[in-house]
Amino acid sequence: MNEAAPLPEAAVVAERLTKRYGSLTAVEDLSFSVAPGEIVGFLGPNGAGKSTTMRILAGTMSGTSGRAAIWGVSVALDPAGAKRHLAYMPENNPLPEDLRVEEYLTLRARLKDVAPERVAERVRRVMEDCDLTRRASGRLIGQLSKGFRQRVGIADALLAEPRVVILDEPTIGLDPHQILGIRELIRSLRGKMAVLISSHILHEVEQVCDKVVIINRGRLVAQGRTEDLRRELLPEVTFTVVTRAEEAALLAACRSAEPAAGVVAVASADGWNTFRVALPTGSPARETLAGALVGAGLALREIAEERFGLEDIFLAATRRAPGEGRRS
Amino acid sequence: MRHFRTLLAHELRSAALSWNTWAAAALFLALMGGIHFFALVDGARAPNSRAPVEATLWFFWLPLLCVLPLLTMRTFAEERRSGTLTALLTTPASPAAVVWAKFLSVWIVWTLFWLAFAAFPFLAAQRLDGANARALGEASSLWGGLCFIAVSGLLHVAIGILCSCVTRSAALAALLAFISLLALTAAGGALETLPIESWEWLGWLREPAAHLRTFGHLQDFTDGVLDARPLVLYGTGTLLCLGLAVLTVEGQE
Repeated sequence: MNEAAPLPEAAVVAERLTKRYGSLTAVEDLSFSVAPGEIVGFLGPNGAGKSTTMRILAGTMSGTSGRAAIWGVSVALDPAGAKRHLAYMPENNPLPEDLRVEEYLTLRARLKDVAPERVAERVRRVMEDCDLTRRASGRLIGQLSKGFRQRVGIADALLAEPRVVILDEPTIGLDPHQILGIRELIRSLRGKMAVLISSHILHEVEQVCDKVVIINRGRLVAQGRTEDLRRELLPEVTFTVVTRAEEAALLAACRSAEPAAGVVAVASADGWNTFRVALPTGSPARETLAGALVGAGLALREIAEERFGLEDIFLAATRRAPGEGRRS
Repeated sequence: MRHFRTLLAHELRSAALSWNTWAAAALFLALMGGIHFFALVDGARAPNSRAPVEATLWFFWLPLLCVLPLLTMRTFAEERRSGTLTALLTTPASPAAVVWAKFLSVWIVWTLFWLAFAAFPFLAAQRLDGANARALGEASSLWGGLCFIAVSGLLHVAIGILCSCVTRSAALAALLAFISLLALTAAGGALETLPIESWEWLGWLREPAAHLRTFGHLQDFTDGVLDARPLVLYGTGTLLCLGLAVLTVEGQE
């Protein structure tokens, strides 16, 4: 890890970032931050501006306006200083085809200011962490599979033990076993490094990240912890109820537990009716609702809470107008 | 420039392991070997004022136009195409260090090619008796010519590097370098052949023409004449081209 220094409030700061290409605005007025040691998922549909934002933060592209800072160092004013705290793995993970993995990582360690006496040890360590030692260390990068190339990219990112790691689609093209491995690796960074990770695999982001930042058409549409976003964007708890009761009887029973309850009929078969019951967030738990229905004398076969995942949050966030309902 | 040495070592190693370098070396030695052979044959048939070594060096423009672009074309164009330049610039290494490392690496390789060529006259001299060996030309001419190649090579390589910076296509970079080097080499001679003296409105071209006479510089070096003006021309031209190359790399998005 880099030498001890005062801990900044945010490891990554994007403040009113804007990037324009002529008349096209790729990123507009985008603000968010990543705390030290935090893992943040950066989500958005294709063309939303995720890679552009990440490139501005990594200093490989300049923004039109706004401020980007890594570990308190302005990317625009002191790019070399910012890069000393940062590792960035671009989307397509470009690697030189004609170098062996160990040679490449050794070169990168030297360029990233790893102390000369620690270069060999760090290279060995990241190769072990990324499971490259046995099957890839002596091979030319050009001969590696997509999965191993991604591992080389992540090993490179971790080499100098940076304070901030930006990974653009690190699991793209990997098989489920490899994704699991990379996910565990990223999870192991929690508390050690601030990680900003973009991915289209929302389940993976939900598993790994402390919070998410969602952008659409270059603008922030939501950011925060998954639970908070669920409450904000999906303000209802929904239950599937299978009963012999009719809709009116079910609605009356539900309203005895929660006056704002709503009921929608879904299906009916063999005398059993399936309903979707929507209650505001923070309403009585499933057991309370079940108790109310049984107490009302309704024949009940099933009651199940529908869990909204990050996918639902993402869809809800990207459907609403950019800039509406931002969270900090 | 803190990472310059690391980058230079990497570039030299890559050049040594690249098929491109060896293909260029083979082409260079075949070209210069052939030219030197014909210069020797021509010199034996009809001895003239110009010794075979000097006559061979007079054809320096041929490998300059055909071989040097092969060495410079991939330096940046290939890295830009594959994206590895972006990855390189995410490290604390500065664009200036990257440009200078690539430039110096190509210049060293180019100079080594010419040092390898120097073996031809020595091998020829070993096979001839004393008088005939002396007729091949003075060793000082050879070393003077090689000094010219090394000094002018700074600018020539810098032009090739700049051409490679402005495109993602190695082939286009080679073509741009070819045209630029041809223009630079021919410019002095072309300007000298114009009847500038009789056209008063072209009088301002007299000075630049005098500075750009590439073959005149070669003659000066082989004759052992040390003139500061070509050194300034090649030095400042090199700095200008590399400065533009650094700005180009910095500005790439």
